[in-house]
Amino acid sequence: MLDITAPTTEKTTNVPAINELVLEQINSQIANQLNTGVLVLDADFNIVLWNRFLQVHTDKISDNIIGQSIFSAFPELPQRWLTRKLSSVLQLNTPSFCSWQQRHHLFELPHTRPITTDSEFMAQNCTFLPIETDATDKHICILIEDVTDACHYQMQLQKTLAEIAQISRIDGLTQIYNRRHWQDSLEQEYAKARRHNKKLSLIMLDLDHFKLLNDNYGHQGGDMVLTEVSALISTLLRVEDTFGRYGGEEFAIILPETDSAGAIELAQRICRIIATTPLTYNDQVINVTVSLGVAQLSDKESNYEELITQTDSALYKAKSEGRNQVCSAAELVS
Amino acid sequence: MNEFHLTEDQQDCLQELINIAMGQASDQLARYLDTFVYLKVPSIESVEAKDLMKTLSQQKNTMAVVSQGFFGYEGIRGESLLVYQEEDSGRIADLLGYEPDELSQDEQLIDISSILTTTFLNVFAQQIDNRLSYNAPKLLPNVQEILSEHLQQMPFTWELALKVNINYQVTDYSFNCNMILLIPETAITNIKHVLDRILEEY
Amino acid sequence: MSPSVLICDDSNMARKQVLRSLPEEWKDSVQIACNGAEALTILRDNSIEILFLDLTMPGIDGIGVLQGIQKLKLNCSVFVISADIQPEMQNKVKALGAKEFMRKPVQADALLNNLQLHGLL
Repeated sequence: MLDITAPTTEKTTNVPAINELVLEQINSQIANQLNTGVLVLDADFNIVLWNRFLQVHTDKISDNIIGQSIFSAFPELPQRWLTRKLSSVLQLNTPSFCSWQQRHHLFELPHTRPITTDSEFMAQNCTFLPIETDATDKHICILIEDVTDACHYQMQLQKTLAEIAQISRIDGLTQIYNRRHWQDSLEQEYAKARRHNKKLSLIMLDLDHFKLLNDNYGHQGGDMVLTEVSALISTLLRVEDTFGRYGGEEFAIILPETDSAGAIELAQRICRIIATTPLTYNDQVINVTVSLGVAQLSDKESNYEELITQTDSALYKAKSEGRNQVCSAAELVS
Repeated sequence: MNEFHLTEDQQDCLQELINIAMGQASDQLARYLDTFVYLKVPSIESVEAKDLMKTLSQQKNTMAVVSQGFFGYEGIRGESLLVYQEEDSGRIADLLGYEPDELSQDEQLIDISSILTTTFLNVFAQQIDNRLSYNAPKLLPNVQEILSEHLQQMPFTWELALKVNINYQVTDYSFNCNMILLIPETAITNIKHVLDRILEEY
Repeated sequence: MSPSVLICDDSNMARKQVLRSLPEEWKDSVQIACNGAEALTILRDNSIEILFLDLTMPGIDGIGVLQGIQKLKLNCSVFVISADIQPEMQNKVKALGAKEFMRKPVQADALLNNLQLHGLL
């Protein structure tokens, strides 16, 4: 069981009593060797005490600091904001905090790692504590922790995470969205269209005779075609459209708030422009064409996968009817 | 109701202690904010660990959660979560007496949370002859997975949470939030001892 | 003669706190109400001289009881005992006819002092 006697009760030990002066010396030595800044203010925000950490890092002389207002000793402090904060500590008798994540630093102190970090000042976590003594007025103790390392690593981590997130959405070869992200986007757009009763269309397209292309020009040639076609199509889209690589030579476009007429128009433009734009690879001209399937979301589909199936069937029809053309899923039904 | 098996008397005693703490905290807040703080009777519910995520995700517009650890004598410790709704975020800077451009919205939320948590818990602790210290408050990312991960990775296993629904209404500005106190089992046992001690006095 | 006393509070502990602060000889004639509605019924049907009243209660709260007393024109000395201690609230209950305002948890000497102050002890 836990001990439930309050630790406030006096301890009775056999250790000879240490006199108060010695205790005071121990306390002050600890305070001066801490790797944390300690600053004590009176109720008018004048500095009563500070420790060696601050003295060393600010390069200021103790005699000039003690008795001075914190705001004249450290003119870099945001006066209005800090006054309000310090008042809350005094008035509510509660601690207050300030993390580097909200404010990188309060005190402009140099740090000891000049090369690796992003700021010239030490990142700080500051704690403001109400101090009650025998004196009538309360005091405030400010603890200033050096968190430059934590800050630096956190920044690095954020950068890396952002990069990873980006990489995980992008197809390495074509630099357009990969299938997973494209499908996630479709799932969201599908839900949005259903919820708000909005139009939604899909285009799926496939490079014609891609195997042949690979055979004739090698895989590098095939890769170049995929990259160039992706780039070309990207220029024809609106910002709200989501363009992704669905499979090897298959691409897909989500068109929010677009009906099938609009989607067919776009598909035909893509078809025409690709057929009339010759690509060059190793000084050879390559002519490519694409086949495209289009479908608009109707009442029939009960999930986004069914919309893909519809579009895919239209694409299959475009292929089987001779390629280099657009086919709409609406034609399949009739 | 009594998931953590408080007797009716213990429950009544705890509710009364919380009412008093809330009343005094509101008084302090009103003086500090220089306005009248209207408080409703804070309702207390206990929530089992396994149900907490469900409870949190039920609150559709949850905008932000600020967590702050506390610890005192007699093994009384835990973590408080302040849960805010979307519509209440607008005028916190105003309320705290800051200029809106003096601090970011994150900082406003962290500041008001720390004030609500520490004023309330300080008075609560005082009544049970205790004294609490606090960790720095942290804003938790508003993402379900991260939140549930945070709850699972507490430095202690907690069996139940005490959910105190606080409704602070400041003159011409209504302000709602839920305070959820996560308390480890050992601390609950100790709180029960304290409640019994108080009840014995009457 | 001990006066007729009513204690109205939704908390059992709070009621006990008041009860044990009262003079020993009063304790037999004390009635209990757990909410505002109960209190108003008792007040209407009995002649209550002293009421110890909590403010924050479910249903009819302390303010509601004070308004009820005014409406019924009852002659009863009301002492409010509340956790809600903001000055505005204290002024409000005094304006509604409460004799004194006491903060929770109620202290026996404060309670007795107040009774004395109003010549009830």
